[in-house]
Amino acid sequence: MKKILTLLVALILAGPVAAQNGPLRLTITDGVIEPITFAAPVFQAENAEAAQVVNNLNRLVAQDLSGTGLFREIPANAYISQITSFSQPIAFADWRAINAQALVTGAVAVNGNQMTVKFRLYDIYSGQELGGGLQLAGTTAGWRRMGHKVADAVYSRITGEGGYFDSRVVYVAESGPKDNRQMRLAVMDFDGENTQYLTDSSAIVLAPRFSPTGDRILYTSYESGFPRINLLNVANVGRQQLQTAPGEMAFSPRFSRDGGSVIYSLSNGGNTDIFRSDLASGQYTRLTSAPSIETAPSLSPDGTQIVFESDRSGTQQLYIMSANGGEARRISFGEGRYSTPVWSPRGDLVAFTKQNAGRFHIGVMRTDGSEERLLTASFLDEGPTWSPNGRVIMFSRETQGESGTSSLYSIDISGRNLKAVPVQGAASDPSWGPLQP
Amino acid sequence: MRTPGTYISATGHVALIGWLFFGWGFNADPLDFDAMDVSVISGEAFEELRAARTPEPGEADPTAPVQPEIDDTPPPPPSAEDPAEHTPPPDPVDPPDDELPPPPPPEMLVTEAEDTPPETPDVPESLPSSPNVDVNAEPAPTQAPRVATVPTAPPPPDAQIDDTVREVVVPDETTTADVPIEDDTPTAPEVTATEIAIEDEKPSGLVETSLRPVSRPSRPTPPAPEPDTPTETAEAPTEVETPSDDAVEAALAAALAAEAPAVAVGPALTSLEESSFRLAISACWNVNTGSQAANVVVEVGFSLDANRRVVGNDVELISSSGGDEAATRTAFDAARRAILRCSVERGGYNLPSEKFEHWKDIVITFDPSQMRLR
Repeated sequence: MKKILTLLVALILAGPVAAQNGPLRLTITDGVIEPITFAAPVFQAENAEAAQVVNNLNRLVAQDLSGTGLFREIPANAYISQITSFSQPIAFADWRAINAQALVTGAVAVNGNQMTVKFRLYDIYSGQELGGGLQLAGTTAGWRRMGHKVADAVYSRITGEGGYFDSRVVYVAESGPKDNRQMRLAVMDFDGENTQYLTDSSAIVLAPRFSPTGDRILYTSYESGFPRINLLNVANVGRQQLQTAPGEMAFSPRFSRDGGSVIYSLSNGGNTDIFRSDLASGQYTRLTSAPSIETAPSLSPDGTQIVFESDRSGTQQLYIMSANGGEARRISFGEGRYSTPVWSPRGDLVAFTKQNAGRFHIGVMRTDGSEERLLTASFLDEGPTWSPNGRVIMFSRETQGESGTSSLYSIDISGRNLKAVPVQGAASDPSWGPLQP
Repeated sequence: MRTPGTYISATGHVALIGWLFFGWGFNADPLDFDAMDVSVISGEAFEELRAARTPEPGEADPTAPVQPEIDDTPPPPPSAEDPAEHTPPPDPVDPPDDELPPPPPPEMLVTEAEDTPPETPDVPESLPSSPNVDVNAEPAPTQAPRVATVPTAPPPPDAQIDDTVREVVVPDETTTADVPIEDDTPTAPEVTATEIAIEDEKPSGLVETSLRPVSRPSRPTPPAPEPDTPTETAEAPTEVETPSDDAVEAALAAALAAEAPAVAVGPALTSLEESSFRLAISACWNVNTGSQAANVVVEVGFSLDANRRVVGNDVELISSSGGDEAATRTAFDAARRAILRCSVERGGYNLPSEKFEHWKDIVITFDPSQMRLR
């Protein structure tokens, strides 16, 4: 008995002692939302030919990172240390002194039309290199892509997400007055550079969509007087009309996640339903058969579900059904009309266009319809498309009036960093392609 | 100018004066009124009365009892003029006896009744003040003299040699003497204090000392360790016995040995100090709200040196939840960057140096659930 009491007393006494002797424990739930500061000294030119490109390459990397709104570059005139060699040790204290959290160093070598770019990323406050060094090789003509690749790597290593800088966007380039608008397909880098036109303006083209691999484009053409779906090869700009189910009008196409089939809308006798066609065999499947209008289908990343818009309830709302058709469940219940849903590459959100009270919005919601957030508001915002990493949404915005034009905008899904995409001329209907290999 | 008005006025005035003079129609009896006894005293009596009633300035508070001085000499016999002698107060509530004259007035007071019915003497609401008696006050306890006022009897005289020779009487131990033993112990007078006597006397029959408990037998000395036995470090208290056959005490000793060296001394961090430290790190914790890492909760640990800087820039990931490997890595990097960045930017954290033992090891949980996009 005495021993038991002794043990109990010891345990009682040991309890507080252990509580006092443990480490100080805190929980932090509030942080800040501010750009990560980084320094990107001019890359080292390892030969004379490289001297002509290092500065542009360096600026491109810095612009890509700063353009996300998640990073802020420290100007070069604030540097204490200078990078004179790609392999020199880093004076972390000097970079800490100017509040740089990350440091990007690089070197470029050019041999003829071939060039190599290598870079390192440092975490200044931990005094460590973040990831290993990386070297890229390409042609001098493709220096921008190499710069985007470097920026993607830096972005990915710091944020833990994939980048989106080395990607392209297909859109409808517009010209002329509203009542006689000339439209043609164009493709550009995500930042508006390297624009290339894929079609002429002889026919109205709408709703281009990149394939999952970025080598093909689906779009709606009025070349025959009726809307039809065309398939365009990006490499040779060859195009062909897609064999669809018989109907008066076919439009709003999207590739399946594997790129082997297409889902689209087909209109017959005033009724519009959703179909799926296999690209190889031409076989089609009817996915909806309601008397209402079902259109704008978009597949989930895993390819098992389809989100689409329908007016079966009397107004345009968003629904989700199985990829093979069947019962659909409504996910939008807010005021106004919902249209053009697009499933996020992450699979957690659905972007949409919402019209309410005379205004258009770009918004996102969970796939169950919860947590709806409107990111924009204007006279006319529509046609959202996701960046490859699911972090940014690009859309078209049209200004009011007869002289109003359409242009492309992008916004972070946090609702920050809304900015216009520098596109040559008017543009609409963007479709963000995948990261290029 | 003797006009009729003049005659009329003179006649009226004469009539009025005459009516007032003769009092026609008035009652000549005096009105009833209450009468009050008035005493008339001489100036000497009043001064004597006032002197006896009102204390002189600087005189001791009459309410405070004055400690009588010890006077070894026998006090003189009490006299009637002694002001310290208290007389029993008169009973103020005794109804007046019709057959008896009114209570005697105070000394040297001469009453003169004027228009006062003698048969119904008014009892004044407040009795006339008396220089020696306070009728409303409780009788003051009689201050007993600490030394008897009556001298005790002198001790018996020494033995004197008697002229008559007597035989020595051997007392029989088996029998008790029938001679009564006089108690010569002097007794104190009835009214005397006992303090003086008590100081030198001890009450008989009291227990002067009590038995103390027997001291605990000392424990056997543990055997000396073998010379070749490896000695443990001195972290464990040596006084803790660890008999090899006593598992409970061995566990106790082991627990004490493990815990004792890590005891933190001094007061813990106050809530304000903790909040300040938490805010400092929060200001450096940059949350990428739209990223997958914003769904990850990470728990990191690190140590600070005496300069309040992270030891070796070493921050360890203890646990995580809510994301895949890439998101966890990003969340941990953000937490580590916050800790190291604030440590550097602030030249060390603002923590009280005297509480170093309390903050040298820190574990922080970074929970972005309230910041991520909803």
